[in-house]
Amino acid sequence: MDNSMEGLLDTYLFETNSLLDSLDELLINAEKTADFSEDDVNEIFRSMHTIKGSSAMLEFNSLMEIAHHIEDLFFYIRENGIDSLNSEHKKDLFNLMFKSTDKLREEIQKVENNEPLEDNIDSFVTEINNLLNKISNKTADGAAQTTANTAPAAGSQAGASAAAPAPLSRADMPYLLHVYFEDGCGMEHLRAFMLINSLQETDMEFAYYPEDIDTNPDTDETIIDNGFYIAFKTEADLENAAKVVDGSQHIRSYEMVDNSASEGANEEPPAPAVQAASAPAPDAPAASQAPAAKPAASQAPAAKKKAPASHGAVKQDLISVNLSKLDALVAIVGEIVTTESMVTSSPDLQGLRLDNFTKSARQLRKLTDDLQDISMSLRMVSVSGVFQKMNRIVRDMKQALNKDVRLTIIGENTEVDKTIVDNISDPLMHMVRNAMDHGIEENVQDRIDAGKNPQGEIILSATHTGSEVIISVTDDGRGMDTQAILAKAERNGILVKPPEDYSKKEILALLMTPGFSTNTEVTEYSGRGVGLDVVKKNVESIGGVINITSEFGKGSCMTLRIPLTLAIADGMEISVGDSIFTIPISDIRSSFKASEADIVYDPSGHEIIRRMDEFYPVIRLHELYGIQDACTTIDDGILMWLESGDKSYCLFVDKLIGEQQVVVKPLPPYLQYFNIKEAGISSCTILGNGNISIILDVASVYNAAQNML
Amino acid sequence: MSQTITDIERVDEFSGEDSSSGSIERFLTFTSDNITFGVSTNNVIEIITSYKIRPLPMVPDYIRGIINLRGQVVPVIDIRLRMGRPLLEYTDSTCIIILSIGETSVGITVDFVAQVLDIDREDICPIPVSNRQELSSSMIHLKDGSVVLFLDCEQLIRQY
Repeated sequence: MDNSMEGLLDTYLFETNSLLDSLDELLINAEKTADFSEDDVNEIFRSMHTIKGSSAMLEFNSLMEIAHHIEDLFFYIRENGIDSLNSEHKKDLFNLMFKSTDKLREEIQKVENNEPLEDNIDSFVTEINNLLNKISNKTADGAAQTTANTAPAAGSQAGASAAAPAPLSRADMPYLLHVYFEDGCGMEHLRAFMLINSLQETDMEFAYYPEDIDTNPDTDETIIDNGFYIAFKTEADLENAAKVVDGSQHIRSYEMVDNSASEGANEEPPAPAVQAASAPAPDAPAASQAPAAKPAASQAPAAKKKAPASHGAVKQDLISVNLSKLDALVAIVGEIVTTESMVTSSPDLQGLRLDNFTKSARQLRKLTDDLQDISMSLRMVSVSGVFQKMNRIVRDMKQALNKDVRLTIIGENTEVDKTIVDNISDPLMHMVRNAMDHGIEENVQDRIDAGKNPQGEIILSATHTGSEVIISVTDDGRGMDTQAILAKAERNGILVKPPEDYSKKEILALLMTPGFSTNTEVTEYSGRGVGLDVVKKNVESIGGVINITSEFGKGSCMTLRIPLTLAIADGMEISVGDSIFTIPISDIRSSFKASEADIVYDPSGHEIIRRMDEFYPVIRLHELYGIQDACTTIDDGILMWLESGDKSYCLFVDKLIGEQQVVVKPLPPYLQYFNIKEAGISSCTILGNGNISIILDVASVYNAAQNML
Repeated sequence: MSQTITDIERVDEFSGEDSSSGSIERFLTFTSDNITFGVSTNNVIEIITSYKIRPLPMVPDYIRGIINLRGQVVPVIDIRLRMGRPLLEYTDSTCIIILSIGETSVGITVDFVAQVLDIDREDICPIPVSNRQELSSSMIHLKDGSVVLFLDCEQLIRQY
């Protein structure tokens, strides 16, 4: 695939995905009122038209056809007004629409993964058509529809003897193109319709037969048997059309028929044909003429109208940028910030009085700070996209599990780093599913008995707190039965100490152990025993922490605490010997001086120290990392009380250097081979003087120290 | 550092004319513990000296640490230690050759950098298996009697 195609594909994927996203949102909102507004119908129609058009351009046929059929469906609804549907139809329509967007998404996914698209979507298309038929039959012109179906049949029989089929024996359009599609290529009516679509783009005037190809799949057979006729006014048009047909796929053969000569000499034969056609079904020409003319006529203006309309839908004040470009920008800005402090704190300037330089340097610092802020904000996106997806999950599960639940979303405009948004989608999905499946009571009666609102509620909220974003999923369901969890954990053999020693917090943490699932049955949505441990892993991979609280009978709450951005961290710089390390500020509880006398030894001889009435282990960083020339007596150095997750300990270091905002740089991938993360090193940062400081991962340092013992 | 680069450039000028043949490849040679190695200049990004290496804890000793190469963090491998030889204390003339191997950038510390040679790939022969050592599997015997072992870059960063 060449570059321009690649770019096209990117744009296509982006556009289609965002269309599907907004479609989903629209559907969810519309379903709440169980009705489509006129705007909704127009919006869906427009979206589908855009998807159809762009998919056809890139030859993603399955996508195109699904979109095409939905477009037809909504075309009908738009023409007849949404009020023509009864509530049952609307329900079907919603289900079908959800299914369709899923199907489209599925196909898009295949495009993204470079997998072959599904070629056989007939059953799906039939489903859409069935609904269309159902809706249209219910309404007044049901009779017209049926007669329209019989009319072509009659017409084709009559027309078979003549050179041209009856409906096309028009004196003003004597030039005929008779097209046969490849045997067994399937969906001939659609292929014919595509052909008509491409011809419409050429501004030619023409008529075609069978005329109801876009709505009636039964025309397939007619086309297979008799071919597809297109009639033109002039010979030039015919020639042009032949070129278009040449360029189309799945055309077996076509012939050009010039009726103009025979017209004059032989005016009689076509006329009886027309009569023959109209004789069996007197209202056929009228019926078939009318619906066909209407789509044909409205199609063209609709298409013209659509172009500006779809532009209006795309927000002009947004541009989409490749993430890697953004990353490159952020990286360079990080460089500039470091270089700037390298220049301004250069040792060459020490002891010099440079008033002008200092002034300019201050100006520069201000600008680089602004630049950094802006470049960081570029990566920030709101969580609303992810939250909206949860709407959809709740909706689907509500039906599948037959539970009445409403999802309340709070703070969906909270902004977090793009990488984080991408990474919380899966954990959130698991959490919401868990809440739906395990949290909310099976029986409405249980809720009523417990004095709760019969309708369950799941609250999804996001808030900022300084350097973290807190996302929580709260349900007002049955809560977690700690005893059941404990018993289950014991059965599964994942307890590491006697059951009675477990605190409530620890019991709830058991839920996140691999292989744990309190549900006895595997359901479609959760209960495979993966789930919470995967959530935990995903959240930890982006530096977050997950916490479960629950009150039996009242509900549960799962909270994610995730750093706002992965690229910049507030760190405390410390030194051990010649080495400088950075410890994330958020993990530091306090730092304090202590003397050898404060250190006590536990039964196995390890150093521990008392803080706030509890004892914490002491880890000497110089011992752990084998650093020479470091302070070895507790009195000379400083202790830092660190806490991350459930690990809490005191780290012995030489001295504190100061607090600084650092640009986090990942370690070279090569070093991952050496399990450097397990040694407590999470990443590094470049200091103002160009030296490298290693950023410690507080929890892993503890684990590394434990492994050393 | 500047001296080294001028050396390379001079060699470049010398050999620029007859390197048109397809099988001729250019190799940078360096010495570590009296063994001369060659590495294809296609892999070499640059040669730097007197860089401050930030040691890393809890890694094998041949990983000397990481350096800040203009904002890029690059790990540094000591060739002597990688071969299991004793460490030669670093001096100002200790060179770090920055290699680009596939997606990975690594620095290797060597005793000193020698020169750039044009070598006909066809003259390269495998090292007898019994005498083979980890980092190299092929060699060349030069006309002046010296032997150059070719550094197997992939092997250098491979983990097992």
